Amino acid sequence: MSCADCRDAMNAYVDDELMPDERRDVQAHLASCADCRREHDVLAATSRTLKEGLVRHRAPDVLKARIRSALAQPTAFDQSVPPPKRSWLRLAAAGVMIAAASSALTFGAIRRPPAQRTATADVLTSHIRSLMPGHLLDIASTDQHNVKPWFNGRLDLSPSVPRLDSIGFPLLGGRVDYVSGRSVAAVVYGRRQHIINVFSWPSSDAAPLAPSVSTQKGYHIVHWRNEGMEMWAVSDLNAGELEQFVARFEASETPTGAR
Amino acid sequence: MAQREVERFERIVLPHLDDAYTLARYLLRDEHDAQDVVQDAVLRALRYFDGYRDGDARAWLLAIVRNCCLTWQRRHRGDRFVVPFADDVAEHITDSRETDTLAIERSERAMLERAIASLPTEFREVIVLREIEELSYKEISDVVGVPMGTVMSRLARARKRLASALGLDVQEAS
Repeated sequence: MSCADCRDAMNAYVDDELMPDERRDVQAHLASCADCRREHDVLAATSRTLKEGLVRHRAPDVLKARIRSALAQPTAFDQSVPPPKRSWLRLAAAGVMIAAASSALTFGAIRRPPAQRTATADVLTSHIRSLMPGHLLDIASTDQHNVKPWFNGRLDLSPSVPRLDSIGFPLLGGRVDYVSGRSVAAVVYGRRQHIINVFSWPSSDAAPLAPSVSTQKGYHIVHWRNEGMEMWAVSDLNAGELEQFVARFEASETPTGAR
Repeated sequence: MAQREVERFERIVLPHLDDAYTLARYLLRDEHDAQDVVQDAVLRALRYFDGYRDGDARAWLLAIVRNCCLTWQRRHRGDRFVVPFADDVAEHITDSRETDTLAIERSERAMLERAIASLPTEFREVIVLREIEELSYKEISDVVGVPMGTVMSRLARARKRLASALGLDVQEAS
């Protein structure tokens, strides 16, 4: 093999894209030619530096939320699916599938009481809506002493706003939202590029309820009840970290309840 | 609405969203543009989903994203050039006790990102597809729509430029 042939094949060699016999030829040439070997080492180092150094970006929550909500639109699929196929799909679908497919928000219908099912759907919708540009925060502050009083006069409750930045959950702010037919407090925390919405409102049920996680459309939803407050945390953060968040949230401050 | 098709689409295509976004970030060099284009590309992909047969969904999605990026660039040519910048909420909350090693790593990374950003698009895309997305030459050839020989020569030229931009091509004393 000539030096020119070796240089031509060198990128494919580094990328392991050569046929076995070509590969052997390059190897043999490199063993005997210092110049080509030097060239090869530079190339291999360059490729390694790029592989190790280039950033693999993570699609932001906001983008995921936008895509999910666009996919949930009835028109999302219209251009490619002719009506006959649609009706065939309907026929083919089992009863449960139809129930589940008729609305993306009926998840969990089988085992949840209706009120809670609605609340789960509502907090998820509210979470996704909050990720749209400009919807996340009515008050943006990392200081609990700004966020907590802000709710005074806006709501008939005073939500918990513990500081959790020391364990990697910085407070971002809060807003008033509308869930299950009433105004509720939404306190917003961050975790890396994830957003956590904590919703709270006074409960008609006084019995405390331990946190339980459910998953819907890639989001984790934790529900619990404490001191007469319905509490919900929603995020696309992994379930483990979200549960850890809820545990620390609960440990840091108990809700003061309805006023 | 064919909810089941949408669900199949979500299951097969959405796991590759990070890769799609990464490619768009490198091609467009702007996070907001990348978000808009990836959203558009995913909705396009859904509409073409009928034409997708069990192949590599990732390469298939990347091809659509790549085409959407190029179309976007043609439409907005010369609008602006934005230097990539750390802009996420979480990234502001970095450890204030950052060590020197970390600072050096950070500046090396910044140099690398600058070197990539300054490559012409046809070189940048093959580098991203090969070194980050780790596609084969055949897959890159399909995504970019050029023969494999062209993929190879673009990769070679791109790496040469990067080696010299990063100072990796200096002859060592030994």
